[in-house]
Amino acid sequence: MFSRLLAIQSSWNYELLMGIGIGFCIEPALRGLPGGAGGPRYREALARECRYFNAHPYMASVAVGALARAELDNVPGTRIERFRTAICGPLGSVGDRLVWAGWLPVCSLLALLVYGLGGGPLRVVATFLIAYNAGHLALRVWGVQAGWSHGLRVATALSSPVFRDGPAYLARAGALLAGIALPVALARVIGPGQERWPLVGVLLATALGSITLVRMHGRAEGWRIAIGVLAAFVLYATVIRHG
Amino acid sequence: MEGVAAVPIELFRIDDRLIHGQVVVGWGQPLDIGFIVLVDDDVATSDWEQELYRLGVPPGMAVHFDTVAQAVERFASYRDDRRAGILLTKDIETMQRLSVQLAELRCINLGGLHYSAGRVQKLRYVFLTGDEERVLRDLAGRGVAVTAQDVPAARPVPLDALLAGRGG
Repeated sequence: MFSRLLAIQSSWNYELLMGIGIGFCIEPALRGLPGGAGGPRYREALARECRYFNAHPYMASVAVGALARAELDNVPGTRIERFRTAICGPLGSVGDRLVWAGWLPVCSLLALLVYGLGGGPLRVVATFLIAYNAGHLALRVWGVQAGWSHGLRVATALSSPVFRDGPAYLARAGALLAGIALPVALARVIGPGQERWPLVGVLLATALGSITLVRMHGRAEGWRIAIGVLAAFVLYATVIRHG
Repeated sequence: MEGVAAVPIELFRIDDRLIHGQVVVGWGQPLDIGFIVLVDDDVATSDWEQELYRLGVPPGMAVHFDTVAQAVERFASYRDDRRAGILLTKDIETMQRLSVQLAELRCINLGGLHYSAGRVQKLRYVFLTGDEERVLRDLAGRGVAVTAQDVPAARPVPLDALLAGRGG
């Protein structure tokens, strides 16, 4: 099931969103139902698990573990369907705060810091990829195990301090990293002995960025804008300037 | 609540996902929502489901789980609350039952009704059966404004345009 989690979004569509991906991930476990693969219990469970489902793609591993356990424990279908509806919101909310607004910016800033400290394009990209993938793979492994251990009572695992306080700690770590990485990286972009005109450019860009942010207020979330700016910075630093 | 301005329920929303990011962040932040009333006869009597839904609510935001009857009974206290609130149901039928008993329910937001067998796509996030279309027309006929809008930044789609497939 774990390797299938890496492809959980490959059949994403507007009708079922991640539904078919959930069914695809659970399918190996369903072969253990009475009658085996292709039997009536298998078909009924697979059809149920392929219905509409929407959550954070990494945190969906929790649902995959819990739903596989519930199907093999013969939990009534109506109860499983209600669980599928109820678990989407918490998994989406926790995943958004922990990964998109926490882990992803932290890894991007870490890569930027490596650039600022003199790292070449390969080292910068490798830093980001290794750190980011280590985080999401660990989250998926934990998710399947937690879901499988707790079944439909997985709320206990999701209310752990890691998910309750983790986003706040990651936000603080991100702020600290931003404070160190941005000046160091800017200093490298500007270069020694040519402070004036690049500095004017940076001030101009800051002013334009501030106006854009004010105009976008209420139409785009701050962390999405921050990730866009970070991505543009990393792209400039690694590909355009040193490509 | 003498001396404290009452704030009406800001949004009556039908969304089969109930509490999720679009509700608590997308609508919750711009409307400065202080509480959510989740109206569902099954969830109101299910501790484990309530435990899951509570996980999706940020600190500082209250959530009440009511049956239709309880929501009607407690509606005056929600209306008199000085915080802004959102009332959520997961289907059209529950909202229709509420509308019959609550004169204050004059606007309904269709925020997400996703695909299931028998439903036809009207918008990216709205799929309806023929029966659901009839209930919505009936609500509009009784003077309730029905629009589809998933997030505040999106353009609200009036019911006529939605049912005619002109929602974009």
